[in-house]
Amino acid sequence: MINEPASLDNTSDNIQTGARQTAEPIVSAKALRKRFGDFTAVDGISFEVPRGQCIGLLGPNGAGKTTTMRMLMGLSTVSDGELQVLGCDARKLSRAELARIGLVPQDDNLDPDLSVRMNLEVYGRYFGVDRATVRARVPELLEFMQLSDRADARVMQLSGGMRRRLIIARALVANPELVVLDEPTTGLDPQARVLIWKQLIALRKRGVTLLLTTHYMDEAQRLCDRIIVIDHGRILDSGTPDELIERHVKGHVFEVQKPFVDGFDESAWDCEDIGDSVLVYAEDAKAFVDTVPTDTQYLHRHANLEDVFLRLTGRALREV
Amino acid sequence: MSTLFSRYALAIVWRHYLVWRSMLASSLASNVVNPTLFLFAFGFGLGAFIDTMSGVDYLAFIVPGMIAYAAMFSASFETTIGSYSRYAMQRTWDAMLASPVSLFELLWGEVLWSALKALFAAVCVLIVGWLWGGVISLSGSLLMIPVVFIASLGFASYGLFATSCARGYEFFSYFFTFWITPMFVFSGVFFEIDRFPAAVQWLAWLLPMTHLVALIRPWMTELPISPPMVVVHLGYLIGLGVLAFWLAYRNIKKRMFD
Repeated sequence: MINEPASLDNTSDNIQTGARQTAEPIVSAKALRKRFGDFTAVDGISFEVPRGQCIGLLGPNGAGKTTTMRMLMGLSTVSDGELQVLGCDARKLSRAELARIGLVPQDDNLDPDLSVRMNLEVYGRYFGVDRATVRARVPELLEFMQLSDRADARVMQLSGGMRRRLIIARALVANPELVVLDEPTTGLDPQARVLIWKQLIALRKRGVTLLLTTHYMDEAQRLCDRIIVIDHGRILDSGTPDELIERHVKGHVFEVQKPFVDGFDESAWDCEDIGDSVLVYAEDAKAFVDTVPTDTQYLHRHANLEDVFLRLTGRALREV
Repeated sequence: MSTLFSRYALAIVWRHYLVWRSMLASSLASNVVNPTLFLFAFGFGLGAFIDTMSGVDYLAFIVPGMIAYAAMFSASFETTIGSYSRYAMQRTWDAMLASPVSLFELLWGEVLWSALKALFAAVCVLIVGWLWGGVISLSGSLLMIPVVFIASLGFASYGLFATSCARGYEFFSYFFTFWITPMFVFSGVFFEIDRFPAAVQWLAWLLPMTHLVALIRPWMTELPISPPMVVVHLGYLIGLGVLAFWLAYRNIKKRMFD
């Protein structure tokens, strides 16, 4: 809103599109690097987070996701390159900018010495929000994250899902424009994940910009407008979930068991050997089914982001 | 100056106050019972053999020492075990720094709170000592309060410096063995340090608590102290405190943001 250009072309019939294209992105990284001694955690990545969108940083453990987020919050120094957050250099974010960002860290760093309610009230004070405003806001936040009946519980008494919901509520205490979420649902049960997704979607509808890291493909597919796949500190590809699927894994996946029956020619297809079987990526499912020998054993499913992810980042285990 | 009293630093103090308030009973108990036990043991036990020290009733002599020790211990404990827990174990510092609170304000808030807590401990000893009949000058005791607060800002800063070097709780055993205990023994809590050999006296004067005791004991017991010495003691307490805070800030900044 603040960054929208004053001279919007009112004659244009798609003001919205125009605004979205010209508005300054909330986050903009150019050739961003982070080195820890000899190790390069983030190796020259460039990306933008447009206002009002949900952008996902997708990558295996140790890909550089968390480091990127920490640099963005001014919690880790930038080694090289450019990083603009809310129009300001991330190296010298002022209080005014920091007050507009909410962070949901990967690790639980709730204040164990305070109750659920006081975690929020105290955090609001860290943001400089006056006490009356915070007090009015806390019940709304608890309601939003379905924690109202646990307001007076100690943090230690909460389940993992509740803690995570409280961390998200805490990030929202000062009405941020940008919420940065580092693996918001890792380790949670499906019920807790679904609730968090629902509320994140609600936030985005209110115009809050979201930047999240995850290694859950279903999460990325459900929440993100655009996905940036990173590994070893570099961007492998980016696009909408559909674009990525289209580009890397066509529309359908056939898992063909080895040994192959006579007449099956794997070289005719875009495929990937995964050991006991081969994954065939095909745009036209019928073409595949019609061509292969009738007694071929295979599993057929729609291609998803997980296929993209594994194809791009490889199948080897990550020990980080 | 505005940073020192910014609402962000005060928000950190407020957080600590809330936690402390919820444990007020235990805090009050330890702050009152500890000095009572000490004064009982030393006042009655040792006091039976020692009538006066430097011409002052022995009980009145050790009350200022106990006040300095209580403040020193309280401030040191808070910025070592307390701050280290928040920094490395609970990781609440990470959460604080993801807000507009700056690292300087966070650390200053820790130190400010620790000094307030130390002051509370000191006042508890003062009240116990006064009820026990061990306070000679009430006006001197009032003068003592701001000085104990200033010294405690320093004690908290030395603790914070230790925290900035710590890689685990074990580290603090050095801090307690080589910092807290020497001050308990060498800073003149129980007797004048001029009874030590000269070399030990020099070492004792390096310890900030020696200067605090040397300041507040004359005030509280109506012993003489020259104005230049007041300036020297205060200057040492403030100077060393500022240095420790600056070093702690530098170390922690490097550790947290690199």
